[in-house]
Amino acid sequence: MKIIGLIVAVLTGGLLVYAAGDFPAWSDPASPASTYLSPHFIEKTIEETSVPNIVTAVLADYRGFDTMFETTVIFSAGVAVFLLLRTSGPKTQQTRLYRHQLTGVTVRIKEGAELPPSDNFERIDRFWTPHDLIIKTVCRLLIPFIQLFGLYVIAHGHHSPGGGFQGGVILGASIILLAISHDLRTAIKRVAEKLDAVLCAIGVLIYAGTGALCLLLGLNFLDYKALAPVLHVDSIMARSHGILIVEIGVGVAVMFTMIWIYSNLSSGGKYNQGL
Amino acid sequence: MSSQYPALIVVVPLLAGLLVFIAGWVNKKWCFPIAVAALGISAYSSIGLLFRVINEGVIVYKMGGWDPPMGISYYVDHLNGLVLAVVSVVAFLNAIASKRSIEDEFPDNIGAFYALYVLMVTGLLGIVVTGDAFNLYVLLEIAALTGYGLIAMGGGRGSLSALNYLYMGTIGACFYLLGVGYLYIMTGSLNMVDIARILPDLYQSKAVMAAFIICMVGVWIKMAFFPLHAWLPNAYTYAPSASSSLVAPLVTKVMIYVMIRFILTVFTPEYSFNILAVSQPIVWLAVIAIVMGALLALKERNLKKMLTYIIVAEVGYMVGGAWLGNRVGMTGAILHIVNDALMTLCVFMAVGNIVYKVKGADFENLQGLFRKMPFTMGAFVVGAMSMIGVPPTCGFFSKWYLISGAIQAGHYGFMVALVFSSLVNVVLFFRIFEICYYEPFSDHHGHGDEHGHHPEPAMDEAPVTMLVPLFVIAVILVLVGLYTGDIVNQIIDVAIPKGLV
Repeated sequence: MKIIGLIVAVLTGGLLVYAAGDFPAWSDPASPASTYLSPHFIEKTIEETSVPNIVTAVLADYRGFDTMFETTVIFSAGVAVFLLLRTSGPKTQQTRLYRHQLTGVTVRIKEGAELPPSDNFERIDRFWTPHDLIIKTVCRLLIPFIQLFGLYVIAHGHHSPGGGFQGGVILGASIILLAISHDLRTAIKRVAEKLDAVLCAIGVLIYAGTGALCLLLGLNFLDYKALAPVLHVDSIMARSHGILIVEIGVGVAVMFTMIWIYSNLSSGGKYNQGL
Repeated sequence: MSSQYPALIVVVPLLAGLLVFIAGWVNKKWCFPIAVAALGISAYSSIGLLFRVINEGVIVYKMGGWDPPMGISYYVDHLNGLVLAVVSVVAFLNAIASKRSIEDEFPDNIGAFYALYVLMVTGLLGIVVTGDAFNLYVLLEIAALTGYGLIAMGGGRGSLSALNYLYMGTIGACFYLLGVGYLYIMTGSLNMVDIARILPDLYQSKAVMAAFIICMVGVWIKMAFFPLHAWLPNAYTYAPSASSSLVAPLVTKVMIYVMIRFILTVFTPEYSFNILAVSQPIVWLAVIAIVMGALLALKERNLKKMLTYIIVAEVGYMVGGAWLGNRVGMTGAILHIVNDALMTLCVFMAVGNIVYKVKGADFENLQGLFRKMPFTMGAFVVGAMSMIGVPPTCGFFSKWYLISGAIQAGHYGFMVALVFSSLVNVVLFFRIFEICYYEPFSDHHGHGDEHGHHPEPAMDEAPVTMLVPLFVIAVILVLVGLYTGDIVNQIIDVAIPKGLV
C-alpha cells in the first residue's frame, strides 16, 4: 500500500513538473498574469477607489466578495471548534479549589458550601503552578502596545501592508498572550465567552451587512458607491470608506475567533485555567 | 427585486447563519424560524431565477458593480439555474424535517448547529451560482469546513470519520486550487467565461492539460468517485440524521455539477472529449465504481451504510454519463443530478425518521416497521422505487437517458453496469422490505409468546413535522418523473452547448 502511495505521489509530482515546462518564465513581464488584468489594477485603482494600496483595493473591493467568504470561513472554523469541544456539563463541579492570593493558602470548597466574602480568592485547578512574576509583568507592559499596533495595522491598510486579517490576528494574539502568561480565567474576565462568540458573528455581520446595505440602497451587493449619500462623500471616496468599514468587520471577526478557538482548544472546551 | 435574486440566494442564508448563531446565545426559540425563513427565501429566489433564466437567457450579476473579469460575477444559465433550485429546495425541506431531531440531539447547541447548517447551504449554493473559478474554491472551503463540523457531531466513530473526511477533502480542495492556479498562470483570468474565451489558443499547452486533470481529480475526491470514495461511507453513516440528510443528497451532486461546468463551460466539450481523449478510461472507471458500489452495498447490514454505498454507485452513473461524450449521456447525467439529490433526500429523511423512533438503522432494528411506521415506510418505498428505476418515479427517466447514451456511444460495458446496479438495487431494497414487512417486531415479544402468536405492534409514527416534508419529497419524486419531458426540453437541452451531439 505504501508503495502504491509513493508511486502515485511521484507521478503527480512528475505531472506538475512536466506541466510547469509550459509556464511563462519566472517574473516574465509579458506573462498573461502581468499583462491581462494587472495593468488595469495598477493604473486605475487610485482613480476608481482612491485607495493607494492596490492589494487592499483588490482584496476588499474588486474581489471583496471572496474576502467576505474568507472571513466566513474563519467564523465557521470557530463555530465548528466550539460545537465539537465545548462541554456543557454540570455548571459547578462538586469540589472547587480557591487560592487566597495574599497568604497562598489553598481552600477546598465542597458542593453547596460558600466561600467567605473576600476579593482575594482566586479560582484554581488541581494542576496549578505559580505564575512567573517576570513573565507576568513583561506581558502586562507589552500587551497595550501590541493592541495599539494591531489597531494601527487595521486602520493603515489603505496605505501600507496590513488590514483586517493581520490587525485582527495581532489583537487576538494580545489576549492570547494574556491567557498564556497568566491563565485562561484572567483572559476570560476581560473577554467573556458569550461576548467573544457574539462578537465573532458581529464582525462577519459588519462585512455582510455593509454589502446588504448597498443592495438595499439600490445597487448591487457590496457596491460601496451606494453608501455615498449615507456617508456624505462622493462615490469614489465612498468606496474607500466602504473598504475601511469592512476591514474593521474583518478585524473584529478574526480577533475574537482567534481568542475563541484558543480558549476552546487550550482548555479542551472546559474553560478552566487552560494551558 | 427580481434582478437581485442571484445575490439573495447566497446572501440571505449567510446573514441568517450569523443571526441564528447570535440568537442561539440570546433566545434559542428564534433559531429555527430564522433558519427556515432564510432557506425559504433562498428557495423562492432560486426558483424565481430559474424561470427568469428560462424566459430571458443567461443572467450575469456583478458583485460590487465591477465588470468581469475585474471583479467577481455570478453567472446563471440553465445548468446551474436548475441545480440551484434543487439544492435550495432540498435544504429547505430537510431543515423543517430535522427540527425535532436537532432539538433532541443537541439541546444546548441549537444555535451553533443551525449556524453551521445554514452556512453549509450558503457554501453549496455559492459553489453552484458563481461564475468565478476562485470564488468557487472559497465557497468550497465553507461548505467543507461546516460539513466536517456537522458530521463530527455524530461523536465517537463520527468524529474519527469526519477527521478522515477532513484529510481527504482538504487534499481534494488543494488539487482544485492548484488547477485554478495553473489556469491563472496560463490565462491571467479567474472568470470562467473569460478563461473559456482565452483557452482555445492554448489547447496544445501541457500546463492547461495538467490544470484540467488536477481540477478533475480534485473534484473526484470531493465527490467520492471510486477509488477515491473511502472517506464517504463512514462519514455519512455516523453523522447525526439532520447532517447526513443534508450532506448526502447535496455534496456529491454539487461536485458533479462542478465537473460538468468545467467540461462544458470552462473547457469546451471539444477539448474535454476530443483533444484530451481520456473519455474511455474514465467511463471504464465509472463502470468499476458502479459495480463496486453495488457489491459493497450488498455486504452491509446497516440501512444507512448500505445507502452510502449506493451513493458511491450513483456517482459512477453521473461521471460515466457525463464522460460518454454525447448529448444523451450528458442529458442523463444532468437529469440524474436533480433526481439523485431528490431521491437520496427522500430515503435519508425516511432513515432519519426511523432512527428517531427506533434509535438505530441496523437490519435487526427494522423488523415490523411497516406496521409501526406505515407513513414513513410508504415514502421510503417511493424513494426506493426511484433508486431502482421504476416508472413513473424520476429515477427511471435519468437511467433511461444514461442507458440510451451508452448505447449511442457504443459503450456496452457502461450499459451492463447500469442494468447490473439496478438489479442489485432491487435485491437491496426488497431485502429491506422483507425484513420490515414479514419479520415480526422484535420488542415486546414476551407478551405474544404466551398466546402463541406475535402481537400487532402499536403504530408509533414520527411527528408530523417530520412526515410532511417526507411526503412532499415523495410527491416531488413522482412529479419530476412525470414532467421529465419539460425539464429536458426547456432546461437541460438548452444548457448543453450546441457543439455536443
